[in-house]
Amino acid sequence: MKHAILGATALALLATGATAQEVTLGRFFGDCENAGTDTKASVGEACIIQSIINAADAQLDGVSVNTLPTDWGNYYDQIKAAYAGGTPPDVHVMHRHRVPEFAGIGALADLTDDLAAAGIDPSDWEAAALEAVTYNDRIIGVPMDFHANLWHINMDLMDAAGLVDESGAPILPSSPEELLEHAAAVKAATGQNYLAADFAQFPLGVRLVLALVWQQGANVFDGDTATLDTAEARNAISAVTQLFDAELANPQLNYADSQQAFLNGEAAILVNGTWVVDFYASEAANTETALSNYYAADFPTLFGDGATWADSHMWAIPAPLKANDPETYNAALQVLAFINDHNIDWARTGHMAVRSSVLESAEYAALPHRNEYTGTADIARDTPPSARYGAIQDVLNREFQAIWLTGKSPDDALADAQLDVQDLLDR
Amino acid sequence: MPQHQAKRLALSQRQAALILLLPFMVVYGLFLVYPFFNGVWISLHDWNLMAVAFNPDAKAFVGLQNYERVMWGRNITWGAFASPALQVIGLLGMLASFLLYRSGRAGRVTAIAMGLAALLLFVLPGFHPGEGGRWYDRRFWPTVGNTILFVGLAVPGVTITAMLLAAALNGETRAKAVLRTLFFLSQVLSVTVVTLIWQIMFSPRQGLLANVTELLGGSPIVWLTAEGFAMAAIVIATIWWSLGIAMILFLAGLQDISQDLYEAGALDNATGAKAFWYITLPNLKRTITVVVVLQIILHFQVFGQSHLMTNGGPNDTTQVLVRYIYQTAFRDSELGRASAMAVFLFVIMGAFSILQFVLGREKDE
Repeated sequence: MKHAILGATALALLATGATAQEVTLGRFFGDCENAGTDTKASVGEACIIQSIINAADAQLDGVSVNTLPTDWGNYYDQIKAAYAGGTPPDVHVMHRHRVPEFAGIGALADLTDDLAAAGIDPSDWEAAALEAVTYNDRIIGVPMDFHANLWHINMDLMDAAGLVDESGAPILPSSPEELLEHAAAVKAATGQNYLAADFAQFPLGVRLVLALVWQQGANVFDGDTATLDTAEARNAISAVTQLFDAELANPQLNYADSQQAFLNGEAAILVNGTWVVDFYASEAANTETALSNYYAADFPTLFGDGATWADSHMWAIPAPLKANDPETYNAALQVLAFINDHNIDWARTGHMAVRSSVLESAEYAALPHRNEYTGTADIARDTPPSARYGAIQDVLNREFQAIWLTGKSPDDALADAQLDVQDLLDR
Repeated sequence: MPQHQAKRLALSQRQAALILLLPFMVVYGLFLVYPFFNGVWISLHDWNLMAVAFNPDAKAFVGLQNYERVMWGRNITWGAFASPALQVIGLLGMLASFLLYRSGRAGRVTAIAMGLAALLLFVLPGFHPGEGGRWYDRRFWPTVGNTILFVGLAVPGVTITAMLLAAALNGETRAKAVLRTLFFLSQVLSVTVVTLIWQIMFSPRQGLLANVTELLGGSPIVWLTAEGFAMAAIVIATIWWSLGIAMILFLAGLQDISQDLYEAGALDNATGAKAFWYITLPNLKRTITVVVVLQIILHFQVFGQSHLMTNGGPNDTTQVLVRYIYQTAFRDSELGRASAMAVFLFVIMGAFSILQFVLGREKDE
């Protein structure tokens, strides 16, 4: 009897093992408890991605997807520790800016020759998307989006300050001087701040300053040389700090507080990414939210050339999985194919799609506010590729925050940042 | 032990002890001693977290270079009055410990410990980069300074609050029992919960503190991003969090004090605050030592409060040693360098552990 029970249990285990290949998945974007499987109804990054994952789990034959608990803020620390411990998730999301760090030591599986069989067509990807997932001429990931900084606008406040043109579009500044004028006009007309952003926690203020540096044709490092302590960096910083000095913007708000200020109608403009367009659109439709007339604009050009901070989300498979466990590897590829097929659903967040067929579709063009930031793809920029990207961002965040939160002089902050970035590049 | 019994057991006391200790020794060796020596070994290498995982040969032995890169610099010189404030305090401390010992107010060991601490305070801040020189890692020593500042604020904060609470709640009424439980409750929360609670408390938009300040007609303080308040904010959260254990230790200490002392004191008109000062405090001396040293060791390892509430900011004012170690190891993948810092932290905490050991023995004599 005992043997019969054991045998039956073993058989049952074998049977379930054969019908469902479990794929573990690591991602950031935050939690969504009841995302469901409807990829057309969910709102916000966390719920949209989870609904796509849940749908993959439900619809893919013989594949079950297990989303691992991860934390946004410490995501890469967790993933790297998992790689070092030999237990990385079978598929995981990452940013393009991390490719040199991960692919540089051969951590990511080479997918080049396996994509077609999995039903993924790289020729449908935009050239920039293919470039984002290519390392040493091999494809090491499946791109999911381009995302960039936008100016999210409360049109009622802009209208009150006379900053709306005849076509109904916002009038945005074209120089640092105009920026200050507009900000003063909003304050005078409405009593509210002109601009809000997370200048106190995540590096959103850094990305704003970086965009202004790039607009002057400069950058923060070039190859192995830090190029931070420059006149261009000072111009970019003073364009921002003039707003703080005139009390037309508050540098002490973090991500949640700055977003709340915008939704409460306490700031005409919020500088934040493409990832919140659908969320703000749904909040604007909500009568309880002060924001009611929302517009998503391209990052304006205050200096010579257009530029805004941008990056890409992509999915990768660890190299050891491909080498040691072909069955799970194939299942993982199916999950990536499913996500690639749902590129249009992910674009509902506000992100830009990576597949040409999606970008040209009527469904994509019909997404809310999509026609308001069509120029962003052309001005998308980032710092040069570096395995030290995370640490360099932290240096910039620390030193820039020191300027507007603690009154450190831009000269001292830039000199210190220059030294620290150079140290990182030298290591 | 009678001899015939020992024969029947066939195990000497020593053998029995060894067998009983074995499980502990194995676990201790495997999970504490081995990782410690492994950490020291890693600190002598250029060791990239990810690269070594994929290729064990990707590490290189560099001797003490990690220690040099972290703690030293180019053209470092020493001056007797390079940072006068700290060094003068150090000098005064050495003088004070000598005088206290001479006048018999401090024991020999206490005096030596105090004197050594004062000597370090005189010597260490004297190092500074000379002309054209610089620290290789300009953030390490300020981070150590922040950690010491945190310990310097949190330990007295916890000790004094816990002692006052214990004195107030030492009794057999039901209300006191309920309050004791309430005050202890915060201790069982995890650091994530504690920091979440306090982030909401400190929030300038929705926080309790902001609402109170506004009620009183002030404009709310942005605690977590204001240079002067961020450290205070994480210290306050820490005191609230780690009150419980200290309070229990003090309660145990209080219950050891004989009631006779208070009765005798009352005859001499020593009640209330006087009784606390002349009877309670002197009798709690030993408990205070234990609490202080335990708290020092505990709070040198502060991490979550800084990492989750302030991200080490603004301008690195709340960057603490363990967070720096964490970032170096996991964000920067530089395991060797991080291990060197961890060994440094071990030396500090080891010194305090020895101090506790020594002080504990001195009282026994």
